Amino acid sequence: MESIMPDMQPMNQTVQETPQFRVLTEDQIEQIYFAALDVLERVGSRVHEDEALELFRNSNEAVVSDDKRVRVPASLVERALKSYPRKITLQGRNGKRSVALQKDHVYFGTGSDLPFTYDRKTGERRRTTYKDVTDAARIVDALPNFDFFMSHGIVSDVPNPQTYDRHQFMAMLEGCTKPMVVTSVDGEGLEDLWKMACLFQGGEEEFRLSPMFVAYIEPISPLTNDRSAVEKLLFAAEKGIPAMYTPCPSSGATAPATIAGMLVQSLAETLLAAVMCYLKKPGMPLIMGGVTTVMDMRTTTYSYGAPEMSLASAANTDISKWLNLLMFSTGGCSDSKWLDEQAAIESTLSLLTAFLSGANLVHDVGYIDSGVNASLESLVMNDEIIGMVRQVGKGIRTDEEGLALKVINEAGPGGEFVTRDHTYEHWRDWFLPRFMDRSDWETWNSEGCKTMSDRVNEETQRILDTYEPQPIDDATRKGLKEIIDAAEKRHSQ
Amino acid sequence: MAVDLGKMADLLIAGKVEDVSNMTQEAIDEGMNPKEILENGLIAGMDVVGQRFKACEMFIPEVLRSAKAMSSGMDKLRPLLSESDSRAAGSFVIGTVKGDLHDIGKNLVAMMFEGAGFKVVNLGIDLDTQVFVDAVKEHKPDLLGMSALLTTTMPRMGEVINALKEAGIRDQVKIMVGGAPVTEDFAQEIGADIYGANAASSVDKGREAVGK
Ligand code: B1M
Repeated sequence: MESIMPDMQPMNQTVQETPQFRVLTEDQIEQIYFAALDVLERVGSRVHEDEALELFRNSNEAVVSDDKRVRVPASLVERALKSYPRKITLQGRNGKRSVALQKDHVYFGTGSDLPFTYDRKTGERRRTTYKDVTDAARIVDALPNFDFFMSHGIVSDVPNPQTYDRHQFMAMLEGCTKPMVVTSVDGEGLEDLWKMACLFQGGEEEFRLSPMFVAYIEPISPLTNDRSAVEKLLFAAEKGIPAMYTPCPSSGATAPATIAGMLVQSLAETLLAAVMCYLKKPGMPLIMGGVTTVMDMRTTTYSYGAPEMSLASAANTDISKWLNLLMFSTGGCSDSKWLDEQAAIESTLSLLTAFLSGANLVHDVGYIDSGVNASLESLVMNDEIIGMVRQVGKGIRTDEEGLALKVINEAGPGGEFVTRDHTYEHWRDWFLPRFMDRSDWETWNSEGCKTMSDRVNEETQRILDTYEPQPIDDATRKGLKEIIDAAEKRHSQ
Repeated sequence: MAVDLGKMADLLIAGKVEDVSNMTQEAIDEGMNPKEILENGLIAGMDVVGQRFKACEMFIPEVLRSAKAMSSGMDKLRPLLSESDSRAAGSFVIGTVKGDLHDIGKNLVAMMFEGAGFKVVNLGIDLDTQVFVDAVKEHKPDLLGMSALLTTTMPRMGEVINALKEAGIRDQVKIMVGGAPVTEDFAQEIGADIYGANAASSVDKGREAVGK
């Protein structure tokens, strides 16, 4: 096609593919990093697990005190930091390598373990069940903008609290083929989940190349590491299971009231884990995390809707990129008890911020009631928000096609664009709303004056009524059952 | 010039720990009646703090700072008060049950009880049933509090109550339970006396139950 622009090769141009967003400069990141190193040298972090304490002692560099405090010199931290992979590709149980974790690639998924659910029939709040988790799994499998799945709810109708994680993983697998992030009771639980995943993947080696899940593990802020968390982390290191060790500090309660202070503390917590895994087995796929928020000083709620959470999380992502670590972040969640205006506002703000920051795995999408209540409708609503947010991330092309001089010339003063080829080719670049209503009042009125929540509800019901995920074959199902039964047996004695 | 107890109350509301402590000493040195200092200075101030917290005019850090000011004054007064006047609003033993490591919510409940004048023993987290039983025997509290943040650890609270029954001391204490997955229904099911939804309302309920 002949160019109609007089000069398409200007010099000294800078263009950006996408919008640019960052909270911290490199100098600020360094300040936070050096402060975190200082915390590890002076304050240290407490570790309640013997093997890990032994690893630290044997390093001949870390110092372990009688009260189980571990202090680590910067040189060891910096060596450890060099050992982590900058890319991990996750695949679903269907074998699709659909989540390529690498710098600035953003994926969205649910959170886990919500104890309550609003019953869709009675509207009453009740405890979450196995079926609720499978339903959430199907919804996430069906929704186009969700990339990975965490359990959303916790299965409470299972025989033994000590083995709930195996049943929960099974419920997740029943409904969803996408890559997952899993929670587990302890090291033994994680081992079972990993064995279950290996059944789909054809063994440990395949799992390592393109894992089906990431293990979710947390320290206790401030600066404490409990036995079961460390057990899981060491097991993950040994087997090459990707894991995030995600601090959940609440500013003003379990961390300093300044965001920078909270970031320093949680970075120190992350760095300690980085050293611990390095001492166990260098190079395990460790992912940085952080649900960094504030405790509401009126209600004491750990806030999932605070703007400070979005700001701190984005800053944390800046830090992770500087450290060459992948980042597990938070968005699409709310303190509201009900899927209402508050939930939409809070979800949108945190999703947009997390997306622009370039965090790799954005989780907790769909949480309401500060991480206590499950809502399937919230998943559906957030799917639409993610679509909008991704659209903002597309940025603006300013090449010849984008500047559209040709079609402006064709249309001329007083012309129209609807019938032009250029429009026919490009309108599909736009975001196409599914639940946002842009109709005129007459149409809206004649179609029953449906609100956003009506539309979201209908879609939720439609998916539940019609969507069937790719089934699990019989042989695999049998293997899964064996692992679960064996766990039940071990724990019934 | 006589010490102005209204001003003492204001300083307490403003969270001026040292000033409240000094002023209490001044009032004592002047020979003011200790009971009057307590009631018209310290308690009067704390009452306003309570009201303002409910009206969302004061917030947790401020309430806890005022409580600290209150106890700095109490430290001076206690030796001078009669036993009945200096008695705590009640005694409270609290801990998080076995297998549960959630700490901060339980600590906040403990701090708010302390602020309300309770004598508080905070046992910690991840506690065996027996630890609760022993603590009830040892401290003979008016109120035993248990916290659980996990559906998987909630049943432990029922186990503690049963163990207290077996030890024959269930009826010596009122029992309060709380934590995110705990509900009023669950509290009743396991035979607890009080369900606490959050720190502030738990203190109100605790006070009422202890009746002091
Ligand atoms: C005696 O009388 C009373 C009266 C009132 C009482 C009371 C006792 N106890 C509490 N109250 C009440 O008054 C307090 C003050 O107002 C309030 O206390 P709260 O503790 O509720 O309030 C605090 C001031 C602020 N709230 C909090 O601090 C809790 C926030 C959430 C997000 C949370 C956090 C922060 C943590 N967690 Co956890 N955690 C969640 C929480 C979700 C939520 N919104 O509750 C919850 C509770 N956690 C959960 C899970 C799953 C887990 N957590 C775990 C760990 C942690 C951290 C250590 C990372 C951290 C705690 C850090 C700490 N220092 O305490 C793990 C368990 C570890 C263990 N064995 O205990 C792990 C199992 C995750 C894993 N797989 O590793 C979920 C529970 C699921 C279930 N089984 O029921 C959860 C609902 C979040 C979720 N959806 O995943 C009231 O509840």
